Amino acid sequence: MTLMFQPSPPDHVPADRMVDFDMFHIPDGVSDPAEIWHDLVRRGVPDIFYTPHNGGHWVFLRYEDIVDAYRDHTVFSTYQTPVPPIEPFPVVQPQGVDPPAHNVFRRLLAPMFTPTAVRGMMDELERRAAELIEGFAARGECDFITEFAERYPTGTFLYLFGLPEERLDEFLALANTFFRSTDPAARARNIGEIYAVLDQLFREKERNPSNDIATQIVMARDENGAQHSWEDILNCGFLLFVAGLDTVTNTMAYIWRYLATTPAAQKHFRDRLDDPDGFLRGIEELMRINAVSNLFRRVTHDCEYRGVQFRRNDRVVLPNTVANRDPRVFKAPQVIDLDRKVNVHLTFGVGPHRCIGSVLAKREVMVSLQQWLRRIPEFSLADEQPAGSVFGGSVMGFTALRLRWEVAARQAAA
Amino acid sequence: MMRVIVNHSLCQGHARCEDLCPEVFATDAVEGKVVIVQDEVPAALEDKVRLAVRNCPEGALRVARSGPAEGAE
Repeated sequence: MTLMFQPSPPDHVPADRMVDFDMFHIPDGVSDPAEIWHDLVRRGVPDIFYTPHNGGHWVFLRYEDIVDAYRDHTVFSTYQTPVPPIEPFPVVQPQGVDPPAHNVFRRLLAPMFTPTAVRGMMDELERRAAELIEGFAARGECDFITEFAERYPTGTFLYLFGLPEERLDEFLALANTFFRSTDPAARARNIGEIYAVLDQLFREKERNPSNDIATQIVMARDENGAQHSWEDILNCGFLLFVAGLDTVTNTMAYIWRYLATTPAAQKHFRDRLDDPDGFLRGIEELMRINAVSNLFRRVTHDCEYRGVQFRRNDRVVLPNTVANRDPRVFKAPQVIDLDRKVNVHLTFGVGPHRCIGSVLAKREVMVSLQQWLRRIPEFSLADEQPAGSVFGGSVMGFTALRLRWEVAARQAAA
Repeated sequence: MMRVIVNHSLCQGHARCEDLCPEVFATDAVEGKVVIVQDEVPAALEDKVRLAVRNCPEGALRVARSGPAEGAE
């Protein structure tokens, strides 16, 4: 079978722009998957290079070029972009659609993720974080990934979609297979299961509308007063499922891992528990340093960009973590400055596809850290960490992160 | 007098400006895009506004000086 959006063979790529780089492969001994990207910069590879791995794709390393790719959908499309190429790939709404068609679902979702909307979620976000942390605070240790960083955003998804808490483990299992399985058959089955769950959910919300995002999506009407196509409704639910879980989980994993090894940073945030502006400034810096997503675009037509020849359907990978340490944009980019004043990081992208959940995601991280610091004293990495717990790809992160802290005798006995 | 000039076609609703200076910047409840709540920036807020403008990831904001008779560009 010929794929419609298969990149052309790299015979248009000059030898000096070819680099042997596999974004999915983290070599043994590398404890931070983002380091494979920063290593490219240290090695001085071209700012725009091509790797033959994973179906062949370009990588942009300059902040300015990554911004161009985010902004100009006429050259760098979000339609059918997977690396390595998979077809047919679900056209997730609105992320997988270029403007202006993308505006239909973008407008539909936008009101549910504005700062105004997120302010209305704060009590529930705080309550959920506090409840999870209280479940293990007295134990003096936890696996941060499985006991918090996965459960928290998944629980938030249930809350926003009007689903009962009892379904948390079912959704965690679906998400874990989706994000971590490398078995193609298991993955195909899993996507089918996710769509079946969404189908059932939207049908239920259609019969019994309530005050949640799933209801808003299924009850929305297009410009002719008709319901959106059922396929688009499912694809929109699918996007919210996949976009808001793994990203938040791994951003938190990175942040807690850094804090666990940096007591001064823990103190910095602890000292600002009653200073939301200072606290948020620190969170923005941790967002800059811990950008877990590497985004994909597809070239729409043969063209030249910055003197480099691109062919139609070439894939381009945009590593936010590299953009966020570009010395042309950031002062002392390698320094983690929790009081950084000017911080135009690209962690949530820019342009028409800017992460629609960016305000919510930041609040999830901020609330979690506030609730954590109010309940848990200085914490560190546990001595024993499970081996082989890092992964690369379009979202980078960790599968396990064991943390420990001292428990006061009174608390332990309680 | 300092004023903020918004390029609305560039604003994507990051809300960084609202976080940094809510006295001058808000966001609407429909698209989450910037709304200027004070056209004329009080002198005491000028530094905060400059910082908010410099933190816009879209470059959608800038400041201008104008006399009371001049409007926004």
